[in-house]
Amino acid sequence: MIKIELPDALRPLADGAREIAVEAGNVAEALDELGRLHPEARLRILTRGGQVRPHVNLFVRERDIRSGDGLATVLEDGDSLLVVPSVAGG
Amino acid sequence: MVLDRRLAELRDRIRQLTPTQAHERLTAGELLIDVREPGELAQGMPAGARALSRNDLEMCINELAPPEASVMLICASGPRSLLAADDLRRLGYERVAVVTGGVERWKREGLPCVRPECIDADSAERYARQLNLPEIGIEGQAKLAGSRVLLVGAGGLGSPAALYLAAAGIGTLGLVDDDRVERSNLHRQVLHRDDRIGWPKTDSARATLEGLNPKIEVRTHQLRLDSSNIEDVFSDYRIIVDGSDNFPTRYLVNDACIRLGLPNVYGAVQRFEGQVSTFAAGGRPCYRCLFAEPPAPDMAPSCSEAGVLGAVPGIIGLLQALEVIKLATGVGEPLIGRLLLFDARTTRMRELTLGPDSGCRYCAKGSDFPGYVDYTEFCSAPGREELETHD
Repeated sequence: MIKIELPDALRPLADGAREIAVEAGNVAEALDELGRLHPEARLRILTRGGQVRPHVNLFVRERDIRSGDGLATVLEDGDSLLVVPSVAGG
Repeated sequence: MVLDRRLAELRDRIRQLTPTQAHERLTAGELLIDVREPGELAQGMPAGARALSRNDLEMCINELAPPEASVMLICASGPRSLLAADDLRRLGYERVAVVTGGVERWKREGLPCVRPECIDADSAERYARQLNLPEIGIEGQAKLAGSRVLLVGAGGLGSPAALYLAAAGIGTLGLVDDDRVERSNLHRQVLHRDDRIGWPKTDSARATLEGLNPKIEVRTHQLRLDSSNIEDVFSDYRIIVDGSDNFPTRYLVNDACIRLGLPNVYGAVQRFEGQVSTFAAGGRPCYRCLFAEPPAPDMAPSCSEAGVLGAVPGIIGLLQALEVIKLATGVGEPLIGRLLLFDARTTRMRELTLGPDSGCRYCAKGSDFPGYVDYTEFCSAPGREELETHD
């Protein structure tokens, strides 16, 4: 089981959930599962073409997936996928 | 008489060095501690000595030296250092020596002194509780006094940061903001007050900060940063604090910091969450390594639209102030290459590792500065989704 941790800004698009549990072997699969449950939340993270949006970062085991294998970064049972979007407020 | 007898006993037991001998040992790397009170240091202290008053010596000596280390002590003329040396010996410091004749003789013999300009009697009292910290001390305070820090935004993040940086004695504190104080600001923008509604935020900030600490220079820039003025404004400062409330300014700040070689202390908040990091001079990583481009407006509402709990920017702004103090004094480890996330709902902090983006157009090795981007139009233009080329 993988846990997707959503930021405050995306929770309204996922029925208010902080965390979504999915079965997935890598980051892309986890986000596909998220899209199946909450399509709008996925669309805030990935473009329609399936690329990570430039104002969003994804972290697995506290490391940016770009320093791993990007969307192909392998997820193991118990891992969490943290979604960190840019926020501008000051 | 009792004291004279005691000092005579101590002179028999404690090794005494002439100022010249102490200077030679200091040059060779041995520790020399000036045990006078902070207020006495204004007239100069031996160059290279550490300030730790006799009052705090026993409590803090372990932060400067272990018991097996050689330690030299100096005071104004000699007696205090003997008594302090005795205190240290009781703590288990065996290799303690004192400088005979103290700083007075040190000066008479023409040995090098530093005269920290920030430490007059007012400053000694004002900063006493941070001068006490061996890691800050008189040298750290002088570094704070010599710092030139610019806060971008005198709002939710800039307010707490400015208050604490002014209080800490940052010598030149600049603020950029073109807004005026509104009542809806006051739940989080604690620089301002109800009776200043309608004032330019820069004027309100100046009034508060000069009232808090008249020893520092507050400089205000009542303008909106854009690509035509940002370098002029930034070039007078050495550390930039990004407390802005919009994406166009945040990208301008990042890009100007890269271009001018300035560190960027980043903070941002929304609702119950905050982010903070420090992007070193030259980046790698920089803000664009983290977030390459701003979102379309419908993807990320601004603070005023999204709402924010006032204490959240309070916490993030103070973390930014802490980063500035660390950068200015060299104490501790700044948040370089680390992103701290704060969730007020759970009161949890999370630290994420940030690496440089090898494809970053602004800070990657060998990249030429691509110029500033006017995101104002870009962000407000409708239908950005259609503009995305990577779809």
